[in-house]
Amino acid sequence: MNPVLQVEDLKKHFPAQGGRTVHAVNGVSFSIAAGETLGVVGESGSGKSTIGRAVIRLLKPTAGRIRFQGRDITHLPESACRPLRAEMQMVFQDPWSALNPRVRIGDLIAEPLLLHTKSSRSERQDRAEHLARRVRLTTELLTRYPAELSGGQLQRVCIARAIATQPKLIVLDEPTSSLDLSVRAGILELLAELKAETGVAMMFISHDLGTVKLISDRIMVLYLGGMVEYAPAARVFAQPAHPYSQALMSAHLPADPEAVLRRHVLEGEIPSPIALPPGCHFASRCPVAVPACQETAPELRAVHGDAQHQAACLRIAEGANRIPETAHG
Amino acid sequence: MTLLRVEDLHTHFISRDLDNQIRVARALNGVSFALEPGRILGLVGETGAGKSLTATSIMGLLRPPARVVGGRALFEGRDLLAMPEAEVNALRGRDISLVVQSPKSSLDPLTRIGDQLIRIHRAHRKASEKAARERAVEMLASLGIPDPARRMAAWPHELSGGMAQRVLIALALMNAPRLLIADEPTTGLDVTVQAQILDLLRDLVRRTGIGAMIITHDLGVVAHYCDEMAVMYAGAIVESGPVRQVFANPSHPYTANLIGATPERLRLGGPRTVGGPPPNLFRLPEGCAYRDRCPQAGADCATPPPDVALGAGHVARCHRVAA
Ligand SMILES: Nc1ncnc2c1ncn2[C@@H]1O[C@H](COP(=O)(O)OP(=O)(O)OP(=O)(O)O)[C@@H](O)[C@H]1O
Ligand SMILES: Nc1ncnc2c1ncn2[C@@H]1O[C@H](COP(=O)(O)OP(=O)(O)OP(=O)(O)O)[C@@H](O)[C@H]1O
Ligand SMILES: [Mg+2]
Ligand SMILES: [Mg+2]
Repeated sequence: MNPVLQVEDLKKHFPAQGGRTVHAVNGVSFSIAAGETLGVVGESGSGKSTIGRAVIRLLKPTAGRIRFQGRDITHLPESACRPLRAEMQMVFQDPWSALNPRVRIGDLIAEPLLLHTKSSRSERQDRAEHLARRVRLTTELLTRYPAELSGGQLQRVCIARAIATQPKLIVLDEPTSSLDLSVRAGILELLAELKAETGVAMMFISHDLGTVKLISDRIMVLYLGGMVEYAPAARVFAQPAHPYSQALMSAHLPADPEAVLRRHVLEGEIPSPIALPPGCHFASRCPVAVPACQETAPELRAVHGDAQHQAACLRIAEGANRIPETAHG
Repeated sequence: MTLLRVEDLHTHFISRDLDNQIRVARALNGVSFALEPGRILGLVGETGAGKSLTATSIMGLLRPPARVVGGRALFEGRDLLAMPEAEVNALRGRDISLVVQSPKSSLDPLTRIGDQLIRIHRAHRKASEKAARERAVEMLASLGIPDPARRMAAWPHELSGGMAQRVLIALALMNAPRLLIADEPTTGLDVTVQAQILDLLRDLVRRTGIGAMIITHDLGVVAHYCDEMAVMYAGAIVESGPVRQVFANPSHPYTANLIGATPERLRLGGPRTVGGPPPNLFRLPEGCAYRDRCPQAGADCATPPPDVALGAGHVARCHRVAA
């Protein structure tokens, strides 16, 4: 089966002060199949949102290729992107600022239908009611304004809007980060349900490793705009191969006091995306780096011959990629 | 001696509405907990539960219309709420430190961080400028800030979120307090930075024997860095006790629901987690405030629930819990 989204060697650079360049995304390749959720993790500034916005063409890529349902959309002009948005949608972190405060909930949910379909007013209204129920909002909320709803309810409105036109791909950028635990759980349950019922492909961006682990089929780990690891979700958590993934996963605090932590503490700070170091971008902080790491940029390779599990680290081939643990507690 | 013992603390927001009727929001409704030296207590609960308000009430930092209307907060046996203001002011920033929520906005943007550290030290302790400077550099170094002598000259806006948070903790520790209250000290930081900051905090508590209260809504932080935990709902502690025990045997239905909603316990496609609107503080129901949302509520829940002791300091405030 053809993947819904196929991305090859995507790059996105932004101009910075003094004629310099921010290397936000530096050649990432991945694909998402129908019914699949790809989790995207990495520290602040690693390029997660930029990738999300580029693949649905809210941003113009600097280089690379994006195929959506087999069609090359990399260089589509903005006017041709607009109809495409019915099929690819985005949900943002902050539901409060994502919605126009002066528009009623019912009209907010119906808005994508107005933009992208030729339906009558009453058809749209029916559909908005159906969508509201679908995301488990009571239909009495449809006549209210955003300020009268809670954060969790507003995020459900955003999701209802995102699924209104039955998209094939939804990019969710930190959709649950601003929500309380029990509200967050409800949203995750809803997303899992939608995925099972509609087969929509999802890209789920989050800082919260526990949530990503729960909802993703595969995970891509980013460092300074590059992919360091790409593997099934359980594998990334159980056997992270890249030294950076090992450090990142070790900092995850599962909400279970009995879970044993293996802490790896990283020294130093992330280099600037303006002056990227040559070779492996992680080498300056990597406990197992050797001089060769500073010279050659490693490519994503299958880990121990397993094509499902890929990582970009020179030291994996020699089995020297494990970083030392520090005791916890 | 118990470092901090809070007993039946009540804080209300008292205002008048347009008809000049007095309106009371009962934001804290009998908060009780204790913290021993050398221990870390995690205070958890959803947004609006009253976590930050508990800290500001204890510290005497409330602003009208908020007012403490009952209870005691005993710091080393002395009631902070009954002390003359000058005495509380002398304790605050010296023996008791608060790291407030939102790091960037709580650093003075117009003062270099070194000068802020020196200033807070000299405001409370007799120290020469030179000694204070040395202590500040040491403090930054001990919080893992690279090149601390040079960083002293940095302006707040030059700091990353993680660095700003470390500087705030350095400020809180400059005067070697015996009690540290940190409100969401790592929220919004990357997990790697979060772990470093929490490691530092824990080492400090273990090394110096101060007591710390961490306010958070992250149960992972509580699970791995706290010794005791207290769960707050609608301005009251509904359950408290040793962390492992509460996680293993969450006894208040709210705690069970909260822990069940963590990604580690959540089963997608399984039974639904019950969320619900936060309670209206102007019209809290009689009896248990969780009653409307509670799957186990019965007629008796309209009467105030008892604190049921479950052994080893584990307590739940609920009619349904059997001792
Ligand atoms: N419009 C822009 N102009 C210039 N630089 C930008 C722009 N958008 C993003 N960047 C830079 O690109 C890099 C990647 O940013 P991005 O927002 O994609 O990171 P992120 O992984 O989503 O981070 P966070 O976790 O904080 O949301 C950062 O260095 C950021 O400063
Ligand atoms: N002026 C006011 N009048 C009435 N109620 C108020 C007023 N100011 C704050 N409150 C209420 O006091 C309660 C306590 O808030 P507090 O800031 O302590 O919550 P919190 O548990 O720290 O939440 P968060 O996790 O969002 O930081 C909230 O429910 C809030 O709505
Ligand atoms: Mg982002
Ligand atoms: Mg708070």
